[in-house]
Amino acid sequence: MPTTLRIALLAGLLALLSNLAVIGFIYFRTHDEAVVTVHQQVLEQAKVLTDVYRSGGKPALDDAIGDTMTYGDPQTVIALIAPRGGELMGNLETRPATVLPRQEGYRNTLIRLRGQTTPREAALVIHRLPTGNWLVSGRIAGEGFAIRDTLERSLLIALVVAALLGLFCGLILANYVGQRIGDIATVADRIGARDLSRRVPLSGAGDAFDRLGEQINAMLDRITGLMEELRLLTDSLAHDLRSPVSRLRSAAHAAAEAEDPSEQEELLGSVIRQADALMRILTAVLEISRSEALTGRKQFNWFDVGELAAELAEMYDPLAEEKGARLEFDRPTRPVPLFGHRQLLAQAVSNLIENAIRYGASGGEIRVRVHPGERRIRIEVGDRGPGIPANRRAEARRRFGRLDSSRSDEGAGLGLALAESIAHLHEGRLMLDDNRPGLLTMLELPVHAQQARAA
Amino acid sequence: MGRKILLIEDDRETASYLTKGLNQEGHSVEQATNGQDGLFRATDGSFDLIILDRMLPVLDGLSVLKALRAARIDTPVLILSALASVGDRIEGLECGSDDYLVKPFSFAELLARVNALLRRRESRVDPSEHRLSVGDLEIDPLSRTVRRGGKKLDLKPREYLLLEYFARNEGRVVTRTMLLEQVWDYHFDPGTNVIDVHVSRLRRKLDEGFEKPLLHTVRGAGYMLAA
Repeated sequence: MPTTLRIALLAGLLALLSNLAVIGFIYFRTHDEAVVTVHQQVLEQAKVLTDVYRSGGKPALDDAIGDTMTYGDPQTVIALIAPRGGELMGNLETRPATVLPRQEGYRNTLIRLRGQTTPREAALVIHRLPTGNWLVSGRIAGEGFAIRDTLERSLLIALVVAALLGLFCGLILANYVGQRIGDIATVADRIGARDLSRRVPLSGAGDAFDRLGEQINAMLDRITGLMEELRLLTDSLAHDLRSPVSRLRSAAHAAAEAEDPSEQEELLGSVIRQADALMRILTAVLEISRSEALTGRKQFNWFDVGELAAELAEMYDPLAEEKGARLEFDRPTRPVPLFGHRQLLAQAVSNLIENAIRYGASGGEIRVRVHPGERRIRIEVGDRGPGIPANRRAEARRRFGRLDSSRSDEGAGLGLALAESIAHLHEGRLMLDDNRPGLLTMLELPVHAQQARAA
Repeated sequence: MGRKILLIEDDRETASYLTKGLNQEGHSVEQATNGQDGLFRATDGSFDLIILDRMLPVLDGLSVLKALRAARIDTPVLILSALASVGDRIEGLECGSDDYLVKPFSFAELLARVNALLRRRESRVDPSEHRLSVGDLEIDPLSRTVRRGGKKLDLKPREYLLLEYFARNEGRVVTRTMLLEQVWDYHFDPGTNVIDVHVSRLRRKLDEGFEKPLLHTVRGAGYMLAA
């Protein structure tokens, strides 16, 4: 069964049920106790009269009718009518021939009492006596009777109409829903067919469908962005590998051509160095994608960030000195515990320090700091070099985003990108700022609630 | 001098290259081409060293390693792997391997590590009890004092650790990566010559003013401390 039809049927059924409830309510409110009482009284009265007839025959019945007319309450209707119409006795006006159909049973109908001009509503029981005469007995009821009768009929009609309308509305609704969902499904189909350019059309009503559509569109934008990033990364990886590979190739070529053994050895050494540089690039790319995929969290442990930074500062101090800069470390006064990946954070911080030495050593001072915070720990590396203007910082942190592409030094342009992905692994971030003068790089790592509890 | 080495490696080319090289160094090499076979051969405990590839058919390298350690076979294990990330290296070491080498590697690097592991097996005495000496260099690991030709050398803590590591591998090539891993306990590959700078500082303190240098550079491989 197609979804549209199912929705239509469901809507129709729900409409029917709610209408039933309303109609039932109206029915029970109008069909109240008074009505039931009148009904029963009339039936009992008719039974008494037929019993009288059965036991006493016509004379007894005549007496009973007479008594009723004399002593009964004025609301009582009683009459004996000849088989072909024409009243034999009683208080029922039969001329002009009343609407009384010659049929046995209980009914509500309009009648006129003798001597009255306005017809009134009465509940009657019509009984055919063995003689062929009709015994009519009953009571004048309130105005409501006929109305009620009409109402009951109307309610029945209303029920049918409601069911049909419900089905009709259901069809319209289902069609609408089907169309809106169809729009989304079409987009999903296109994505399945690798077309990510389609977007869900929005009605502008801001309803749930629009929200769903907006979310799907946002998701598609994000996916497209990621794919674009991935494509750029692959492109730039392929592009950036070209120069080391071509250097490697020419070094190998030169080594093969070299005649002097010592020169050849020299060139072969260069071949190996170029190959190592390539491996380093590939490892860094791998490390970045691992970190971004958040693998490695199971290797998290507690360690002192202050200690780690101190170790790295000590490790890079001689290198900085060789490049003409002083590497200063401001040791925090107390341990700075963090739950994280010690090895990867060591790599991230060393990347920042290497970056500072490589591009900022000319400034003479490189300062490493650890700021222990309540909620985040910040590791800073500041240099006094040329820095990076604000508008080029985004470019600098991109993978292979080496600002001065003409330089063919060891930096593959992955250092900051790797540091950033390692920050992401720790739910932190990498920030670049102006060190006035110079570049200030910061790793900001949150101290999580779970860590706080574990502490 | 020759030792028994078990090589568990499924790549024929790598295996024959390694076997040839290790044979030339005087070691005998037995080869297994899948994890199960390798584990079977390793369980007799007669080998001095196991070189274990991480990705193997039938039973992977880490499972072989875990099974060996569970069976209390403590033969030193050197893992070879193309899985190069820091996390992979840590995982390998945590599974009970003694060293982890990432493919591709130079034979010199492999040989240096193989020799260091074989050496460690040889001298199973508490290292801190011994005084170390290389030529006229004397190291006392307990007080962490270093003398050369009777003259006390003033070393920073890290320089001392560096020298002690060199001394424990006297006469053997030590690579830059080995130094970074063993002396600093870092498992990433720095993009700078930071290790060389440390070694040259140590060399200045160690060899300056002495006729015969002790700390040698081995081209294309690393360094060596030898009298």
